[in-house]
Amino acid sequence: MKKMKRLVSMLICILLVATTLVGCKKNETSAVGATTEGVTAGVPAAAPAEKFQIKLGIWPEDTLTDDVKLHEGYVKTFNEKHPNVEVIPAYYKYATDTFVSLAESGNLPTIFDTWFTEPQKLINGGFVADITDELKARGWDTAMNPSIRDMLSKDGRIYGLPRDGYALGLMLNVELFEEAGLIDANGYPQYPKTWAELAETAKTIKDKTGQAGFCLLAKDGAGGWHFSNIAWGFGATFTLEKDGKYVANVNSPEAIAAMDYVKSLKWDYDVLTADPTNEDWGTGFGALGTGTAAMYMAANDAVNQPTQVNGLPVDKLSIVPIPAGPKGQYSLSGGTPYMFSKDATPEQINAALDYLEIMGKAPVATEVAIAGMKADDQNKVNNNVPVIPRFPCWVDQKVLDAEKAVTEEYSNVDMKLYNDYFNLIKTNGNLRAEEPGSAQDLYAELTKVLQAVITDKNADIPALMKTANDNYQEMLDQKVNK
Amino acid sequence: MAETKHNPANKTRRTGFKKRDLTGWFIMLPTILLFAFFVWEPLIESIRLSLYTAKGIRLQEFVGLQNYAKVLKHPDFLAAFSNTFVYILWSIIIGFFVPIVLAILITETTFFKSFFRVGIYFPNVMPGLAMVLMWGFFFRPGNTGVLNIILEKIGIAPQIWLTNPKWTIPLIVAVMTWKGAGSTAFIYMAGITNINPELYEAATIDGAGILERMRYITIPNIFALGKTLLILQIIAVFQIIYEPLVMTNGGPNNASISIMQLVYNYAFRDFNYPMAAALSVMMSIVLIILSGMYFKFTASKED
Repeated sequence: MKKMKRLVSMLICILLVATTLVGCKKNETSAVGATTEGVTAGVPAAAPAEKFQIKLGIWPEDTLTDDVKLHEGYVKTFNEKHPNVEVIPAYYKYATDTFVSLAESGNLPTIFDTWFTEPQKLINGGFVADITDELKARGWDTAMNPSIRDMLSKDGRIYGLPRDGYALGLMLNVELFEEAGLIDANGYPQYPKTWAELAETAKTIKDKTGQAGFCLLAKDGAGGWHFSNIAWGFGATFTLEKDGKYVANVNSPEAIAAMDYVKSLKWDYDVLTADPTNEDWGTGFGALGTGTAAMYMAANDAVNQPTQVNGLPVDKLSIVPIPAGPKGQYSLSGGTPYMFSKDATPEQINAALDYLEIMGKAPVATEVAIAGMKADDQNKVNNNVPVIPRFPCWVDQKVLDAEKAVTEEYSNVDMKLYNDYFNLIKTNGNLRAEEPGSAQDLYAELTKVLQAVITDKNADIPALMKTANDNYQEMLDQKVNK
Repeated sequence: MAETKHNPANKTRRTGFKKRDLTGWFIMLPTILLFAFFVWEPLIESIRLSLYTAKGIRLQEFVGLQNYAKVLKHPDFLAAFSNTFVYILWSIIIGFFVPIVLAILITETTFFKSFFRVGIYFPNVMPGLAMVLMWGFFFRPGNTGVLNIILEKIGIAPQIWLTNPKWTIPLIVAVMTWKGAGSTAFIYMAGITNINPELYEAATIDGAGILERMRYITIPNIFALGKTLLILQIIAVFQIIYEPLVMTNGGPNNASISIMQLVYNYAFRDFNYPMAAALSVMMSIVLIILSGMYFKFTASKED
């Protein structure tokens, strides 16, 4: 009896260990599956006709059924040309807290889109593939807008492809302008041309409608990002280059003047949303789209945000030029990139590039590409998204012409609400790429100052900017000045 | 199990010592394996990571304590470090005494005792993140915040709550207390129930009122328990992250950033894993010291 018990308890223990090990085993097998997948993908290098897979992180999320249908159409076209490539939808919404684990475990989609803030960080971390050779073979490297190409390159190698270019302008909720009576004889909103006018316009809107005139961001880095654009108009430059080193220049009189201006928006005019320290890129579009703020700094590549996402009628959105400051008028520009997994093989990258061509996002004006653009615009029309010209992220004239023709064909908005903006960003010297050095750290520092200024009426701006300057210099020395 | 009970203890010890041990080890084996894989190995790995530069989590070159120096010089470090102590201070002022008071009040209650017991424990049932988001709505400044709507009804001007840097931490601690006080109060209630009722009887006969009973019987008897819970509380608050992360994102102007949030920022915002590891190691040293104190206190309690 005793022996029996001991035996049983031993057996149970062994069973426990075995189950644990089986648990591990399962992981191992799935890892093996992943490697075999990698192997099969690697094989085509020798035999191009071999089957392989590409994982599309750019696939739309399940809830956007129309977009999914659109992509299913693209896949059909794609497979006619590439019957050996299996396209796997792998919707991935880039997020900093999931990215590294996916990349390190080799589970990153072949192609994914990321934020305009990320390319250099991802390149430095070795998470993304060098696609220079593939682009050169197609001639796409020279077709890219050079300033955007620089953002996606390091040491002359290119790591990404622009999905959209952007240049910050001022988005208006036309409904609120109408309600506040800020409408000219032809029914178009009377938008502010300078930052000083913006304060007045915002005040009028606040007084007449009770809603915030302007949505300022101060929750995360996006706050500093927007502020750097405001400050340029006041003549500020935050990062100087001296003897090959970056020098912080955050507490210049110009930058302090810009911060004083922001302070006045809160404490003199009181035209901001209730809690700017809780507003980020997304909530800003929420405020604009749902009519709790009338003006918001945003770009042409995000017109779906107030409309499709937040329900603003398609004809009630307008983008106007970024207001001018006392020392000039600049639009912060950059590009939202497509990037490729570091584990992607040249074949996979080429297949993904072909897929982009079918989507009409490549610098070619082939029949397929134009069909892709058309399908995309038709989908925008169906989904209450303004069809407006793209920011020229390609310099190939044929492509630009083709894009223009398609956009005009599908236009669903009154372009008079956008023309001033597009004319301004075509002006020489208006576009400005983000600050060199370590822009994200600059933004983080500026955001802290913004938070202090927004929450404290007696904030000592020169002192705060001095601290920000010292901190930014420290980060520059740690990260880039070596 | 029944079998072992019948065995004379010393006989088993002499004859079956090793075999019995073996069974024990076998029972522990899965746990040990899991611990080794999910806890100890990552721990050692992160100490190693903190001494290297890295691309992602792929080690590049050995740099000694350079990452530690970088952390100490980082602009946000000082704010995070001092804030963490401010969190602890406020959590002692607000969070430590509330459960004791609740426990005493509820044990003294005659009617609706279980109602109150369930009531104070209720917030604990809520998922932490949901609670934090909910309080975010309560604390919204302007006319749309729940608390401001209530204030408006009684004729008080809207407050800015969390966006006042002086109030950010106390308010966050208040929210944590709202959620956590119930479960701690239960531990105190158990402690109070363990007090020999004859002491109370004797005191009552001697003419002691409720305050004297508390002063001379209840408080001294739960003092040791209180010491233990205090250390546990400090250890827990030292690791505060998601409340400030969600409610204020560490702001305004770093007024509520905590050390753990800084670790989060290094790792998940900047992808700088070595620095995150370095700060974590520094933090775990402090926590090891605190835990050592905890063991000392609990050990002396048992003596």
